[in-house]
Amino acid sequence: MIPLLILAPLILLAAIGAVWMARPVHAALMLALTLALVAVLYLALGAEFIGLVQFAVYVGAVAVLIVFSLLITRRGDEAEEIERRPKSLITGLLCTVPVLAVLAYSAIFGSNIKLIPWEAKLTIAELGETLFSSHAPAVLALAVLLTAVMIGAALFAREPGKTPEDPAEK
Amino acid sequence: MKIKLPGLGLLEGLAVTGKNMVQSFYKKERMTTVQYPEERAPISPNFRNFPFLVYDKDPQAGLRCTACSICEKECPPQCIYIVLERDENGKSLKRPKVFDIDISVCMNCGICAEVCPFDSIYMDGEYEMSTDDRFGGLLLGLDRLSKSAEYHMKLRPEQASEVMARRKADEEKKAAAAAAKAAKAKADAEAKKAAEQEKGGEA
Amino acid sequence: MKKTFLDRHRAGCPDHVARASCPPPNQNQAFILPLAAATAEPSLFSPEFLPRLPQRLVEMILTNFGVPDWLVTIAGFLVAAGTVVAVFLSAFALLSLIERKTLARAQNRIGPNRAGWFGILQPVADGIKMLTKEDIVPAKAEKFLHLLAPILIVVPAILALGVIPYGREWTPVPLELGLVFFFAVGSLTELSVFMAGWASGSKFPMLGAMRAISQMVSYELPLIISALGVIMVSGTLSLPHIVDLQGGFQLGFIPSWNIFTPWGLFAGLLFYICSIAEANRCPFDLPEGESEIVAGHMTEYSGFKYALFFMGEYLGLLAIAGLFVTLFLGGWQAPLPGLGFVPTWFWFFGKLALVIFSYLWIRATYPRVRIDQLMRFAWLCMIPMALLTLPAAGIWHFTGRGLLSWVVVLPLMLVPWVIVAVIFNRRLATTTRTYRFADT
Repeated sequence: MIPLLILAPLILLAAIGAVWMARPVHAALMLALTLALVAVLYLALGAEFIGLVQFAVYVGAVAVLIVFSLLITRRGDEAEEIERRPKSLITGLLCTVPVLAVLAYSAIFGSNIKLIPWEAKLTIAELGETLFSSHAPAVLALAVLLTAVMIGAALFAREPGKTPEDPAEK
Repeated sequence: MKIKLPGLGLLEGLAVTGKNMVQSFYKKERMTTVQYPEERAPISPNFRNFPFLVYDKDPQAGLRCTACSICEKECPPQCIYIVLERDENGKSLKRPKVFDIDISVCMNCGICAEVCPFDSIYMDGEYEMSTDDRFGGLLLGLDRLSKSAEYHMKLRPEQASEVMARRKADEEKKAAAAAAKAAKAKADAEAKKAAEQEKGGEA
Repeated sequence: MKKTFLDRHRAGCPDHVARASCPPPNQNQAFILPLAAATAEPSLFSPEFLPRLPQRLVEMILTNFGVPDWLVTIAGFLVAAGTVVAVFLSAFALLSLIERKTLARAQNRIGPNRAGWFGILQPVADGIKMLTKEDIVPAKAEKFLHLLAPILIVVPAILALGVIPYGREWTPVPLELGLVFFFAVGSLTELSVFMAGWASGSKFPMLGAMRAISQMVSYELPLIISALGVIMVSGTLSLPHIVDLQGGFQLGFIPSWNIFTPWGLFAGLLFYICSIAEANRCPFDLPEGESEIVAGHMTEYSGFKYALFFMGEYLGLLAIAGLFVTLFLGGWQAPLPGLGFVPTWFWFFGKLALVIFSYLWIRATYPRVRIDQLMRFAWLCMIPMALLTLPAAGIWHFTGRGLLSWVVVLPLMLVPWVIVAVIFNRRLATTTRTYRFADT
């Protein structure tokens, strides 16, 4: 319970920082911090594999992807401030408060929710076996989807009608 | 036909550096590092740095410089300062009283050595002249500039031996001319004396 | 061979063939294998025990004074971490000197030999120089991120050093998921490189950071894929167990390290090349090459922050070299039978020294790779070859791991490699250049 009590406010603060920060790169770094804290939460909950993989994938790849796209699309080093409008705050609140209320209601008063006992941990061998035997179709479908996405991205990135030339060939 | 397997060039490169690594320990021609300041690299005979004055045997009396100031006038950055030594009557003693070269100004061009008519100023090869005295330490006076002709011979053997041969030939010519003049004067004196004797005999 | 606690759990497995299908020991343990499980310890004053001496001494002293158990454990861990940090920081200092001297010898000159006998005090002189330099922060830099970046580069490297097994049962933090932890903290380095580049607020660091991140991300893939083969064959993610499984000898004198297997040869070579790229070393040091981009993402750093970058890079190099030794070269296993009296950490550090020497040798020899050549090499050449090692490892395992497997798997790996090498060679072959203006 204690890790949750310490981490949850930090995660919320970091998430609020991710959307509140004026400059985009700061927001991206706060997002990376949020994801890292979530990974710490997973580790504290005893899900070691998922925690470390969250770190490796989200902080190490997704956050890097976001900052990379920021770097590429920024021209020069203009300090871009995101303007804040009071009207968007009201719209945001109108969208988020109902969702949070529904979540809280179902968490507190829901009848189908079972809390996982603290000590029951999934070992990595069991995780691997379950993933590739009973959930194998889902994993395979995901793999096909990701391959298709990669091929599509590569095709998109090419200029139409040109084959990539090796500059060293000339 | 030599089949070049791709990737073997990488190993050849590694072999080259590996050979360097091993052989630099025991092969003298590979390790060309000169461990300054324990060793010094030899300087080439054409290397020139700052000027120096040549004296023949005695640093005061044998100094070849006559303070003609040609080098002072020809020096492009004007780094030479010469004061002629005169006696009490104002007659020049053909010696410099003050001969200063500011080597922080000197640009090592060697023009002073080219124009000197008395073979007295040549370019030195010394390069360890650094000092911590910022204001006077780089102003060299007569005492630091005068070096012997043997030093010149050791520094630039070709040039020095050519200079010495020329000076010796000049001196011999001068001595021969002086001897011829003396002989001629003696012959004239004797002829005069004989003529006077004849005249005396006649009278 | 001393009975480790892993040996006791493996008692049910008859031969090394069934090793991978043998359940790894005691899967229902906690996250960190508890210290108490390592009960079969060598005697207190043997040379084998030397790395653990500080930790055990502190624990014994504290228990004598009646300090509670959890505090003793924490203190023990702190001392172990402190030992690792102390050893590797002095290794970093020594490495900086040895690198300069080795590179010098490869270039037919003497390295630094003025600061102390044979230059042994040169790292001290470098440290004093770095500490006394003025700390210049550009006016347009983000102060907080500019300060945070060098710290965040050193921290993952030190974290990664904690999971590598340095000797028999001496891993500072023996994690069940050691390998995933290693790669996770390795990914943190990329983000901190970006922070360093962007927080400096000028063009060279940003460009350098972009190139550095793209290089590190591209080469992380073949790195992890070639490590996957090892994980498949060993059946575990914990590094001490992987090293344990590389014990024993085949044909009497060939150690059964992972690099002496048909797939391991190629996977090891791929891992080696990717480790050079991950550590930003020549020939992949475009992000920090002096003649290319001044110092890349480290341009605007001076004084001790630069020293921290330097330290982070070298510690990362030591960590990933240690991982290479662990995964492929058999960790602390002795190379020949009958050498059991030599303490195991000696073998580990000896192999590590050889690997680092090879890094230095490669640095002295090869020119720098251009950024497009680098990316092309990673995506077009290394990832397919790395993916090929996975079925090769599987086939090797299922054909009995003996001579038959060599005969079957070696052509399977060798033929695509030769084909790709010939294709690359032909595409990149240098033709005689014709100059437009110089020939007239």
